[in-house]
Amino acid sequence: MLFRSALVAVRSAANFSARRLYASEAGSGGKLRLNFALPHQTILKDFEAIQVNIQSSEGDMGILADHVPTIAQLANGGVIEILAADNKPRKFFVEYLFILPHTAQSSSPVSGGFAIINPDSSLNINAVEAVAVEDLDAEAARKGADEASRKMNASGASEKDKAEARVEFELFEAVLAAAKV
Amino acid sequence: MFASVRQVGGSIGSSGALGQARGYATLKEIQMRLKSISNIAKITKSMKMIASTKVTKAQRNMETARAYGQSANSLLSHIEVVQKEAANPLVVAVSSDRGLCGGIHSSVSRAVKRYMANHQESSIAVIGQKARNQIQRDYRENIIMHFDQVTKVGPLWLEASMIADQILGSKAEGGADKLENGGTIVYNKFKSVISYEATPLAVHSAETIAAAPKLAAYEVDDAILKSYEEFTLANSLYWALAEGYASEMAAKRTAMENATKNAGEMITKLTLTYNRSRQAAITNELIDIITGASSLN
Repeated sequence: MLFRSALVAVRSAANFSARRLYASEAGSGGKLRLNFALPHQTILKDFEAIQVNIQSSEGDMGILADHVPTIAQLANGGVIEILAADNKPRKFFVEYLFILPHTAQSSSPVSGGFAIINPDSSLNINAVEAVAVEDLDAEAARKGADEASRKMNASGASEKDKAEARVEFELFEAVLAAAKV
Repeated sequence: MFASVRQVGGSIGSSGALGQARGYATLKEIQMRLKSISNIAKITKSMKMIASTKVTKAQRNMETARAYGQSANSLLSHIEVVQKEAANPLVVAVSSDRGLCGGIHSSVSRAVKRYMANHQESSIAVIGQKARNQIQRDYRENIIMHFDQVTKVGPLWLEASMIADQILGSKAEGGADKLENGGTIVYNKFKSVISYEATPLAVHSAETIAAAPKLAAYEVDDAILKSYEEFTLANSLYWALAEGYASEMAAKRTAMENATKNAGEMITKLTLTYNRSRQAAITNELIDIITGASSLN
């Protein structure tokens, strides 16, 4: 908790100095315009947020208005937290379980989605699948994790099956972690 | 009384046909035609109702997919990416395997053929058997891959992702990345329940994105850009599939509605012909009887 607020403080200081050097876009008004979309569901559209915390492949990020434009890849099994003026907690768990054939052998993580901050303080988060943390089923996740670890350690399984099982296991573990928080 | 007249009329009708040889069909033939057309009308009517229910759902999905696709592609307009001009770009034609949906498939294949007229060396990837058959007639050698049985239950991001993987995947096997010379997805954009239009959607390779004028403002590293290229291709394909599916359901509904209306008109016309034939047969029968009766006198 302390670390996260320190991270936020560092980010906003960097933005302040950046604003001195470059002309800022007009009209951000200190608010982020957030579009959070999934292929089959639009979670938030043109939503005014104060701060959005995401877990990207490069590490955790806290995004405020006038953040430097960035293209960030969402970490699989990460949590997106949205803080708005109405103080209602909004946390979403990002997952992407399907494993594409040619990436199962590669070392790059499977993408859960992308978060893109534009110069006009609009933030587009596109995820393949995101679930509100309240809707996560910890019981089912525990069962899934046990099943996946069994598959991982099965003696007769092929390398591809073991790799798939490992990704599943990590995902279920992440669900459990998110559900507890 | 009328039942016996009809029976007699039927037999008179058939002997009348022998006498007539050419001329309009016998009562029995008209009856059979009427029956089959009314069966067809029932089928097209039920197909229209099924298509109507699918249209509403497909339209909702399409709105969501549009919002998703536009949001995912908004970066490209912010960085003012420029479509690469190359000799052999990739065209992806998005259609389906299903028939009875009006001009959906011709719309996409005509657009692809128009594009090919200006880019003779392009490679074509076709989604959907019907469009493939049409494009094959003119550009068989240019088709490098085709996908069947897509959108069987509606558009799925999973399917779009698998198709994107196939299009990009050949690089892993040592082949050239299909997308390196830029690409265009041609799909039927859903304009309204009664209208659609074949529309192109540009897709870019990671190198083209990296070369965009305003990308320098963004914090990003190259590995992420490659991931973004794959993700965006899958998203754009999903968007195209969703719009194409919605357009197809709407066109099917319209086609089935027209078919039902035409069948209804044919039934009306045929019924009139049937009644005229029936009455003519009765009149002939009466003439025979009266002539026979008067000859006795």
